[in-house]
Amino acid sequence: MGRAEYKVKGGKLIKVQLTARNRKIEKIKITGDFFLHPEEVIEDIERALEGHMLDEHELSSLIEAVMRNKQAVSLGVTPNDFARCIMMAGEKNG
Amino acid sequence: MGEKWRLLDTDLNDAFYNMALDEAIAIARSKNLVPNTLRFFRWSPSAVSIGYFQSMEEEVDIKACDEMGIDYVRRRTGGGAVYHDRDGELTYSIIVNEDHRLISRDFQETYRTLCSGLVSGLRRLGVPAEFKPINDIVAQGKKISGNAQTRGMNVVHQHGTILRKVDPALMFKVLKVPSEKIRDKLIKSVEERVTSINAVLGREVSFQELKDALINGFEDSFEVEFTPGSITDFEENLAQRLKAEKYATREWNFRR
Repeated sequence: MGRAEYKVKGGKLIKVQLTARNRKIEKIKITGDFFLHPEEVIEDIERALEGHMLDEHELSSLIEAVMRNKQAVSLGVTPNDFARCIMMAGEKNG
Repeated sequence: MGEKWRLLDTDLNDAFYNMALDEAIAIARSKNLVPNTLRFFRWSPSAVSIGYFQSMEEEVDIKACDEMGIDYVRRRTGGGAVYHDRDGELTYSIIVNEDHRLISRDFQETYRTLCSGLVSGLRRLGVPAEFKPINDIVAQGKKISGNAQTRGMNVVHQHGTILRKVDPALMFKVLKVPSEKIRDKLIKSVEERVTSINAVLGREVSFQELKDALINGFEDSFEVEFTPGSITDFEENLAQRLKAEKYATREWNFRR
């Protein structure tokens, strides 16, 4: 299992906990003090991430696509920040 | 005549009811059963609330809370963990239609607008308050209020905390610290980053004086007029149900 924390400069804190096998995300939980509206979209994002490869650019695009699809907006964090923290947690998975 | 809003002062209640009533008011507003509303409330027993996306186990020292009789609850809004001291802290909620002139599509802008009522109220007391993006109000460079907002069903719900007095040591008894070694350091850093109305003014400000100043501040900056009101039966019944079925449940509070 890998865990990481990432404080966005001038923004909020993201925490990621994940398990990955062969660099593929199996299970992931994203927590933190950020804002995402509607809030339930965090679960859609987590579900979408499961089964995906640990690739920062692709994860970021995927999160962005889920948010666009759900007409979601975030405050204090961006899809990119989520992706970066996921990659950090992925590095520690072992 | 100015635009009328309802003013509620529900005073002391437990954490689960407090959060349930906020949601109940938002639902009642969405059904047009009640007017736009400003609510003041406090927490008894003292409680910790965590943001929608936070992990209860990671943020809150459950054992310490249980020992001290402090409640813990997950909010319907994002943001961080807050310790709501029964005697040190005042909480407010604003529940307003999303199509209201005060509401922008932009969350950041709406925080600024809705917080302007608090800023104006605090300045009336003599506190040199300023809005600090994303969602804080600061005085003398230190945080004095944190705010959180959500939207749904065409209603904007913002609630927030106003620190009347603050005890960082107690704050870190109930909030998890990464390690005991840095507890003192964290307490010190909170002392440097957080302040309270009493600390800024160097005198004891009563809850009543604080609420009166905030009401005037909101009226001024929102250009509305508050009418003291009470919660409807619909809101009370729904709040009781939401408390029992959501906010007081382990599934909700420990879901992340």
